[in-house]
Order: sequence, then C-alpha cells, then structure tokens
Amino acid sequence: MKTLVIGLGNPILGDDGVGWRVAEEIALQTAGSPQVEVDCVSLGGLSLMERLTDSERVVLIDSLFTGEKPVGTVSQFTLADLPDLTAGHSASAHDTSLRNALNVGRSMGIALPEDGNVIIVAIEAENVYDFSQELSPAVAASVPQAVKAVMELLAGQN
Amino acid sequence: MERITIDPITRLEGHGKIEIFLNDEGDVANTYFQIPELRGFERFCVGRPVEEMPLLTNRICGVCPEAHHMAAAKAVDAVYHVDIPSTAAKLRELLYMAFYCTDHTTHFYALGGPDFIMGPDAPVAERNILGVIHKVGLEIGGKVIQMRKYGHNVVEIIGGRKVHPCTSIPGGLTKGITEEQRLEIEKMGRWAIEFAQFSLKAFNDIVLGNPAYVDLILGDVYTHKTYYMGLVDANNKVNFYDGLVRVVGPDGKEFVKYAPKDYTDIIAEHVEPWTYLKFPYLKKVGWKGLVDGPDSGIYMATPLSRLNAADGMATPLAQAEYEKFYATLKGKPVHQRLAIHWARLIELLYAAEHWVELATDPEITSPNFHAIPTEKPTEGVGIVEAPRGTLTHHYWTDERGVVTKVNLVVGTTNNNAPITMSIKKAASSLIKKGNVNQGLLNMVEMAFRAYDPCFGCATHSLPGQMPLEVTIRDADGNPVQVLKQFTE
Repeated sequence: MKTLVIGLGNPILGDDGVGWRVAEEIALQTAGSPQVEVDCVSLGGLSLMERLTDSERVVLIDSLFTGEKPVGTVSQFTLADLPDLTAGHSASAHDTSLRNALNVGRSMGIALPEDGNVIIVAIEAENVYDFSQELSPAVAASVPQAVKAVMELLAGQN
Repeated sequence: MERITIDPITRLEGHGKIEIFLNDEGDVANTYFQIPELRGFERFCVGRPVEEMPLLTNRICGVCPEAHHMAAAKAVDAVYHVDIPSTAAKLRELLYMAFYCTDHTTHFYALGGPDFIMGPDAPVAERNILGVIHKVGLEIGGKVIQMRKYGHNVVEIIGGRKVHPCTSIPGGLTKGITEEQRLEIEKMGRWAIEFAQFSLKAFNDIVLGNPAYVDLILGDVYTHKTYYMGLVDANNKVNFYDGLVRVVGPDGKEFVKYAPKDYTDIIAEHVEPWTYLKFPYLKKVGWKGLVDGPDSGIYMATPLSRLNAADGMATPLAQAEYEKFYATLKGKPVHQRLAIHWARLIELLYAAEHWVELATDPEITSPNFHAIPTEKPTEGVGIVEAPRGTLTHHYWTDERGVVTKVNLVVGTTNNNAPITMSIKKAASSLIKKGNVNQGLLNMVEMAFRAYDPCFGCATHSLPGQMPLEVTIRDADGNPVQVLKQFTE
C-alpha cells in the first residue's frame, strides 16, 4: 500500500516546524521509492483533507503540545484515537477538525483514508508561540527517534 | 513508544478564554476575551532581505496566507518605490479574487452559516458543515468542495503553489499565465459566479425567509454603532486589493480617506493589561473605552464595514445584491453584526464576477509582468483587505534592502474592540441577577464568529483545536461557573 507522509506545521514557528524536519529526513531516506510520497504543508481541516485525497494510508508528523509530556517525547496514535471534536466546531479558527473534514469529504464521495489509516507521529513541543527557525534542544534531539518511528511504519513493522 | 489519548480539557494553553465578571447584583460588569498570541515576528524578520517578506509573512497565519502575501508584496513594491506593470497588478488581483471565493465560502458553510441553516438553538453537534450537508443535501457539500478546489487551482496557477503563493517579488511577479491557463481560469470563474448566486439564494430562502432569523439579525444584542473601514477604488466602490482606505462614521458619512502610507496618522493602538492583542482606534476621535458611538474611536473592519464604507460594488450582480441588502435592512450604515454573514456572500459574488473580468482582460496574458526596481529601498506600506479586515504591512530597510523594522496591523486586530463589545453585550443579555441562560455560550460564539476572527496562528500544533472556555466570576473574582464548547 502506498503511503503519503506529511510533515505538518509552520517551519518558522519554533518547535511547530519539527514535522517538516522529520519529513525532510524521510524524503531523503525514501528517495526513489514508488511506495512513499513525502510532502511538507502548513494546513489543517478541510485543506488537509483535500491534500489526503486518493490516499489509502497517511502518516502525519506534527508537533504536540499537551504540556504534560516531557519535551521531545515521541508519540504515535491514529486519528481514530483523537477525541472527537466534531461537535466543537467553534474550537477551530477558520476551519473544521481533520476528522470532521474527512467525514465531509467521504460524504462527498472523495476517496480518503479511514481514520485508522491516518497515523500520527507527534513530538511534544516546548515553544510553539515564538517565531524561530530553530527547534528547542530536546525537540531537535528527538528528531532521529521520530524518523525511526516513521521508517518503521513504512517498513510495516509497526 | 507509548500510546496516548489526548484530552483537550487538560490543555490549558491555546484556549480561547472568555472571563465574565459579575457585579454585586449578579449582572455583567466586564468581559475579557483572551487568545494566545504568537510572538517575535518582527525580531525574526529583522536582518533578512525585504524581498523575503512575501514568503515569510504568509507563514504568520494558517488562515489567510494569501492576504499576507499580497500585503507584503505591495509593501515591498513601496519599499523599492517601484510601480508594477498593470498586468502584474491584475494577475495578483485575480489570484486574490480566487482566494476570497475560497475563504468566504469556507466561513459561510463551515462556520457562520450553520448557525442560521441549522438554527441558533440547534444542538452544537449539528451546527457544523456536516449538519448543513445533512439538512440541505449532499449537493451543497459537493459545491463547497468544488469552489475550494477552483480557488486553490487559481492560486496555484498564478501563485506557483496552493495556499502559500510564492511568485510576488518587488516589481511584480516571477511569471505570467498562458492563454490555455487563462481559459481554464475563466471557466472556473464563471462557475464561481453561479456558486455565489446559489449561496445568496440559499441565504435568501433559509435566513431571510424566516422572520425569526431576520429578527435575530436586526435585534439589539449584536448591534454597535461604530465607525467602519474598508478599501475603496477611485469610484468609492469596494476593493480588496488596492485603493484608498475609507472610514465612515456611525452616521454613514465619510470621516477620512487615506493612502496606505498615512495609516499612522489615522490609527493608534490602545493597550490593555489583560491581553497581548492591541486595540486599534481612530486617533482623531480618541480611545474612550469599549463603547460605541461617534465619540468613541472604535471602528470595525469586516465585510459589513467594507460595504458600509463604500458607495457600492464594482460589478453589476453584486451591486444589485448590495442595493437589496440595504433596502432589506432599512438604511445605511448597517450596525447589526450578524449582517456580516450576508455582506460576506455579497462580497463572494463580487469576487467571482471580478475574477471573470480579470480573466477576460486583454492584458492578463501579457509577458509584461515585472518591472525591475531601480530605486534605493527605504520604507514602504502595503494595504489589502484580508477577508476578515484591513491588513497593513509596514517595512523599513537599510539601503541594501535589509529589514530593520516591521509593523503589522492584521485584520482581526482591527476588530478586537468590537468583538469584545459584542461578547459583553451578548453576555449582558443572557446573565441577569446571577442567572446564566443556557444559551449563553452559543450566543457568545455567534457574536465573535460573525467577525471571522483569525486565530489560526494558535492552532498548528496538535490537538489543533482552540476550544472556547467561558469563566463566570462573582464580584470578588471567584469563579462561579465554567462553560466549555466541546464534547468531553
């Protein structure tokens, strides 16, 4: 099954850019592979759903900000594990949640991956409010671990 | 590797917080609206070549990158004192019309519209785009997705990539379009006109056809008599990309019309200790607190304010809707904030019509899309209308064109004071003698959602949501009730 790997986030917003860093490394390691497509985007909601069109399996790499995990902690879960915030559409700034957007897309007949096939590799962030192209040291140090996690997913070991 | 479940309720950072303070009688004394703000953008930009600004600023916000790209492009042209060729200006504006169609569509169908289409009293679980699709039919969802797709396509053709365009440089653009691309753009634009008309008809049938909704729009809860701001062309018609900024008073009369470079003579920013967001106001009128009226310098910058500040729309179909708008709402200016939703759809129609006008302009495929700057760079201001308000970028450089200072007044910031006033008014109407009406959260939400505020910057990291939390406090500041707008 072909996998779309997407680095999510803002590359100039400190640790929010970690998804791009990991995805860029994945692109290098998978160059030439017909089974892997890698992209880096700053999208959410409907726009992200539109980017996932015709994908069967997706790996999203993003920063995570719970304030509860040690900075740099790498987590892995699927979209189906995320709380359903469909109801709280006000929670989104100008869009809807990805799950809600995927439901909209599916109801339109758009070919989209199941929630369980949207796998998220997330890195606990420290700074996502100050503009910077630098990652926090603990986040930067966790990039290789996140890369390894994604590569294992691509190899079907996870 | 651990497996986790994310509980948004435990995530305190990133919430939109509203604090409501009651007085001794249990009525609303004050409301405070707080959102997290991104920091350090100016520091980040200083020392970089100014021509990078159109690329950097479109990463400020996840909601309107195209607007920042355009304001930055115009500011950079001004820094280099270069007049761009008319083909370049038209191509930028064409991209911008397509962006507007995408953005306004998303707001109406995914955010603002559900309040009306599903009804303000509908359960929150149904007041979203999925609810709209279930109620109105699958066809509407397909059209929304199609409109967004066409908008993104035009941005990609002219701007080089979707959502985050990269082709504006000092003096114009890095590329033009071919006749084949022009034809494709024209075809999509003609579809967009039909879609905008379809949207206005839906609004007409569902909202204007329901007296209860009309009463809601015209009611006092969401009414503030403020000043209104918007860009206008040489004929005082609404313009999103270029022109002069016109401000009209609560009486509808022109208060001032200024060139972008003069904005600091007109606008000042008030600071409150409880929020990072500043409160812009009209300098000559002055800051009188969070109150409306002709003596208060508070102004609004939204689709409604653009219509109020102009004498009409520059395209025929939108002009007809403009006239119907003011005839139905009985006079101009319209002060009722929920009318912003209707104004947004009229702007959608204008953007679609102007899209086709530009796509059929004989100059649009000209190869003359760039003028090489020859002047020494100094300082420049660029203003466009972001969908959610007037957007001002101001850059200073040294003689090499390296940024030394940056100032931005973004769309939502303009509306900080009006949003805060609307929240207070909605809260005051629903909290009496300590009794909190259960509709409070919905009404407060509707108040700020009408402004289409741009909090996108705060929502990049997962969980990627900004739940709204309202805390009601007694006269001593002790919390008496906490309301949250998300499912547990």
